[in-house]
Amino acid sequence: MHIVVLVKPVPDPASGGERLGADGRLDRTSAPAVVNGNCEYALEAALKLAAASEESEVTLVSMAPASAPETLRKALAMGATRGIHVTDSALAGSCAVSTARVLAAALRPLTFDLLLAGVDTSDGLGGTVPAGVAAHLGLPLLSYAARIEPDEGARTVRVRRISPTGYDLLEAPMPAVISCTQALGEPRYPSLKGIMAARSKEITTRSLADLKIDPSTVGGAVATTAVLDARTPPPRGATEIVRGDAEEGAARIVDLLAQRRII
Amino acid sequence: MGELWVIGEPTPDGGLARISAEVATLAREVGAQGSRQVVGIAIGAAPDAMAGELGRYVPAVRAITEPRAAEHAWSAIAAAQVAGLLGAAGEPPDLVLVGAGPDGRDMAGALSALTGLGVLTSATAVAWTDAGPAVEMAPFGGKLLTTSGFTVGRGIVTVRPNVVTAVPADTAGSVRADDGAASSLPAVRVLDRVSEAGAAAPIEEAKIIVAGGRGVGGPDGFGLVQQLADELDGVVGATRAAVDSGWIAYSQQIGQTGKIVKPELYLALGISGAIQHKVGMQTAGTIVAVNRDPDAPIAEFADLLVVGDLFEVGAALLERLRARPG
Amino acid sequence: MTEEQRLLRDAVRELADERVAPRAAEVDRAGEFPEDLRQLLAAQDILSLPFPEEHGGLGGELLSVCLAVEQLSRACATTGLILAAHELGALPLLVDGTPEQQARWFPRLASGEWLIAFALTEAEAGSDAAAARTRATRDGDDYVISGSKRFITHGSVADLITVFAVTDPDAPRHRRLSCFVVEVPTEGFSVPRIEHKMGIRGSPTAELAFENVRVPVANRIGDEGDGFGIAMRTFERSRPGIAAQAVGIAQGALEVASRYAAERRQFGQRIGDFQMIAAMLADMDASTEAARQLLYKACVEIDAGAADAGRWSAMCKLVAGDAAMRVTTDAVQVLGGYGYIDDFPVERMMRDAKITQIYEGTQQIQRLVIARALIGKDRAPLGADRAPLGKDRAPLGEDRAPLGEDG
Repeated sequence: MHIVVLVKPVPDPASGGERLGADGRLDRTSAPAVVNGNCEYALEAALKLAAASEESEVTLVSMAPASAPETLRKALAMGATRGIHVTDSALAGSCAVSTARVLAAALRPLTFDLLLAGVDTSDGLGGTVPAGVAAHLGLPLLSYAARIEPDEGARTVRVRRISPTGYDLLEAPMPAVISCTQALGEPRYPSLKGIMAARSKEITTRSLADLKIDPSTVGGAVATTAVLDARTPPPRGATEIVRGDAEEGAARIVDLLAQRRII
Repeated sequence: MGELWVIGEPTPDGGLARISAEVATLAREVGAQGSRQVVGIAIGAAPDAMAGELGRYVPAVRAITEPRAAEHAWSAIAAAQVAGLLGAAGEPPDLVLVGAGPDGRDMAGALSALTGLGVLTSATAVAWTDAGPAVEMAPFGGKLLTTSGFTVGRGIVTVRPNVVTAVPADTAGSVRADDGAASSLPAVRVLDRVSEAGAAAPIEEAKIIVAGGRGVGGPDGFGLVQQLADELDGVVGATRAAVDSGWIAYSQQIGQTGKIVKPELYLALGISGAIQHKVGMQTAGTIVAVNRDPDAPIAEFADLLVVGDLFEVGAALLERLRARPG
Repeated sequence: MTEEQRLLRDAVRELADERVAPRAAEVDRAGEFPEDLRQLLAAQDILSLPFPEEHGGLGGELLSVCLAVEQLSRACATTGLILAAHELGALPLLVDGTPEQQARWFPRLASGEWLIAFALTEAEAGSDAAAARTRATRDGDDYVISGSKRFITHGSVADLITVFAVTDPDAPRHRRLSCFVVEVPTEGFSVPRIEHKMGIRGSPTAELAFENVRVPVANRIGDEGDGFGIAMRTFERSRPGIAAQAVGIAQGALEVASRYAAERRQFGQRIGDFQMIAAMLADMDASTEAARQLLYKACVEIDAGAADAGRWSAMCKLVAGDAAMRVTTDAVQVLGGYGYIDDFPVERMMRDAKITQIYEGTQQIQRLVIARALIGKDRAPLGADRAPLGKDRAPLGEDRAPLGEDG
């Protein structure tokens, strides 16, 4: 099986340093870049599926600034076979519409059985790119996957999609696009052998010219959305700390809830 | 002048999802501000029930019958239908609004790809200005509040749960049946819908959440958390540590790789408040924490921190709540 | 440090922070071998670091092993020791095993499926290792081993044990011992006792009993009588591992103490701003860094085949062990009362640090080694055919008197 995984480097959310730049767009230098959390779950799912199938490969595809290969190395160290890095200075500031279009253009020449992506990214939380890419490629979308079961013989794939009451069991022919949730399982740490091997794995660069996309049709200048204003929220106010016995604590909670008309 | 469209999302039994009622209410308010017509769109195999319910909130509803929606995933079908309606419309709508849950996001993403319309996601408020729609969002876990717009003055907006309370209009709207367009997207079969024991109400919609973290110690400890949630008419939440330890289902996880919530009350039991969890709940109206450690990070942003053993404080709290009159 | 080693260090550090550190207090409290962490190290290829690539290892560079031990020990000294002791046990095979012996055992040691332990010490033979009494008697195509060993790290969880036993009681002191690989469990082998210790409490320290344990001749490493020399050459490469453990422990304690001093306020200010505390922290940092740099340099020298490898090895272990004890003691002091209780990890780190001054050669033995390297033995003055001090000296095990002898 050939599985492609969309991987996005994002400013490390654990750093707390994310912020917007002067142009109202995310400042990608505001924190060290890491692989987006949900993308790691997608990659882990891909690696497990590849291990269970003969002669499988996992290709990473990432649309990211030029510094991305360092972040992709960790994903390669986890066990992916190769990477494709779509990068072009004209892409800076692209909105989700351009992103989905450019990714689709990079994916179109590839032959794959499954395309996995995280359901959303920590730097946008939009959650619309997987569906957008699937629509561009004319492929079925099985989203919010908690379990993925391909049937290579029948060329179909079944996915458990998280629902409010449990899950829906979806089925579609391959090739298919699957958006992945944390429920698929913890991503592995790269083993030391994986880290050493990753250094010699190939990352191919693709520019807009390679994808035959006119640079003037992407990027911040033609973005479909714009931030008009940004402000920090009003501070919450000082924290009241109550020590003492459990009864005192419980009494204070009840008082506060009553005061704020929650009970 | 462009209309404001609300795309109704279905429940498994063909009714209207609660988030759609909220989005429709919001659309009505925005429509009033901008003097725009609000139209609801209900797409399904048998859309009448959904359309009728949607009609309680908006003056006009178009009901599109798409037989494949019975046993196929809704979002791609709906996106294709809405794209068809957009193409056929004399004047395109200024806003297409949908919920920011899984179905809404999937629909918005596909629709955006089909039409080239931009998307503003997880809106916490929408208002109408002279320059068009102004959409409030809270990126980076609520560390920032932004107001955004569409550079061409029109686009798609996904709306977070709990942003407005669903309020029916004074008069019910009219429902008109419309023909569906041919679908341009592959449909995905739904083989089965499985209910699992312990599946709770969607946590993003809850007004009160009682959440447990590592301090709860195990699945048995979550019994107390559930009792408090029940007593307060709320829903149980959890940190990633509790979910990874297998004490509670992933659907209840709040935080960076779980859900982002904005309830009126977030009661955090045995939760340190590390950033991966904080970004999921820090915009809650009132945050009350119970923790043994007075220096836990949650002390920096909670309204009230009770230092103590969560089981002792929790039991005392439960007793007091139960003793309330009425 | 090569870029690969830098990546390795960062990867182990991340693993240690996220998976090992949360377990450290419990491992100490329960006093049980953390099998889950051993599996984790195996799965991450960390246990394969000491072994050659042809057998599934990662190449065996001493600096690489020490970087990993240091990062693990920063989180949990017991876990760092899993790697260090595994390497120690394997070193006799690494320095003197035949290709056939290596091919037989290395693959499963590299994969972490098997653990290997090192058994030299006995109740009456600690610093005086040559005084060991466990006996290995040739019987046809086998040796029969009888005796007992004491204070053997991993003795109860290892699958292979390199055992040093007397094959010729009448030979000169440093030719009495031979070295054998014993595969356990096996008939006649038992573990009568596991020690309750001050520190590294998760690491099982065992007494081993051998009652007519049979091992084939093919399991002997080197020739009869080579045992002592093998042990000395083993220590040249294994002592840096302990130094790495010590540096890691010191670093962990330094970080806890620094963070505490930056947050704790008394008399209206951070305690770290009081000069006496600031001075302690500064000395802790400087001595940890000095120990670290000496360790890294020693690793490079030893791997490059320096003739005075023994001196480098003893020095880095001496400096690091003393640094760890001092730094952890001071860390407890910085935290004051909180340093003494187990809510904070520094009391555990102090208890863990002590062993680095004791095992794999006490600090006193290390000093003897270094002094010997400086001024040599009291014998005929340098002749034309003798190499100058510190260079091209004949290695221990040949015509040099062994350590611990009254020479």
